[in-house]
Amino acid sequence: MFYDLHMHSCLSPCAEDAMTPNNICNMAFIKGLDLIAVTDHNSTKNLPAIDKVAKNLGLKLLYGAELETIEEVHVLGLFNTLEKSQKFQEWIDSKMPNVKNDEDYFGHQWIMNEMDEKTGDEERLLLVSLSATLEETVAAVHEYGGRVILAHVLDRANSVTHQLGFIPMDLPYDGLEVKNEEQRLRVIQSNPWVTEDSTNWFIDSDAHYLTDINEPDHFLRESVYKKLWGDDL
Amino acid sequence: MTINELIEKTGWKLSTPSLDLSGEIKGAYCGDLLSWVMGNGEPQQAWITVQVHANVIAVALLREFSCIIVADGANVTEDFAAKATAEELVVLESDLPVYESAKKLAELGI
Repeated sequence: MFYDLHMHSCLSPCAEDAMTPNNICNMAFIKGLDLIAVTDHNSTKNLPAIDKVAKNLGLKLLYGAELETIEEVHVLGLFNTLEKSQKFQEWIDSKMPNVKNDEDYFGHQWIMNEMDEKTGDEERLLLVSLSATLEETVAAVHEYGGRVILAHVLDRANSVTHQLGFIPMDLPYDGLEVKNEEQRLRVIQSNPWVTEDSTNWFIDSDAHYLTDINEPDHFLRESVYKKLWGDDL
Repeated sequence: MTINELIEKTGWKLSTPSLDLSGEIKGAYCGDLLSWVMGNGEPQQAWITVQVHANVIAVALLREFSCIIVADGANVTEDFAAKATAEELVVLESDLPVYESAKKLAELGI
């Protein structure tokens, strides 16, 4: 399956307004992707709409969020059903500081329906760190039936290596996300306890703009998908 | 100044009571981005941080810091203290914010 498991909808303040449910799913579909995950910052609230659009297109969807831990590390929590992701929203809410979004400064946080109509605003700023450690966040995603990919692990902002120096040896994550093959080799080189086979590797776009969504360049084997998210292909 | 003298003068809480406190402190370093601290810390510095992830201990050992000062009331967990003790790395806790903690060290001539 050609995939892209990291992109933001118009619910993320930093994403462009054109990242609507229909635009995202149709762009992924036109590009020839088979599987996507939409991962807004600390929120799953646009997933009900995106789920409907993706289903109509026959596009496979994982239900995600990009969580920011108390160490300001970004991790993707990815669920194989909408229900699990919406249940997980309760955990996010329990860890979310109540800071009001300043739209002029940070941008819109639009919640939409499957017709790309705005149905609400997320009032709380989503660009915050949750009051949960990296370890607690990984455990919570697992407890709610999801999988954890450490996001853009070599980025110079909000990555595990930037915030915490290196990838913790005993953290039970399910995958690592890099930008390209060269980064993957660098991760293995600088974290000797990480090997090519010790985890699952993902190359995602982290798209905030429609055009940045992955081309069908990166392939996920069905066996790996099934190992992580079960047999409901 | 030794770690022991620092504790006497500041009253900061010692999270690793079983460890030797005779280590010398020669300067201080403040920072919470571990990748940054890894690249810039110097041996025998006291490291002031609010970060309490287990990786902090590894970075402190790598840079050969004399001790870690967890500032601003950030919560040192039992796991963290136990791991630091196992690695013979002294951890102190200061209720003062990072700047105030650093100022205190400066006042004491560090």
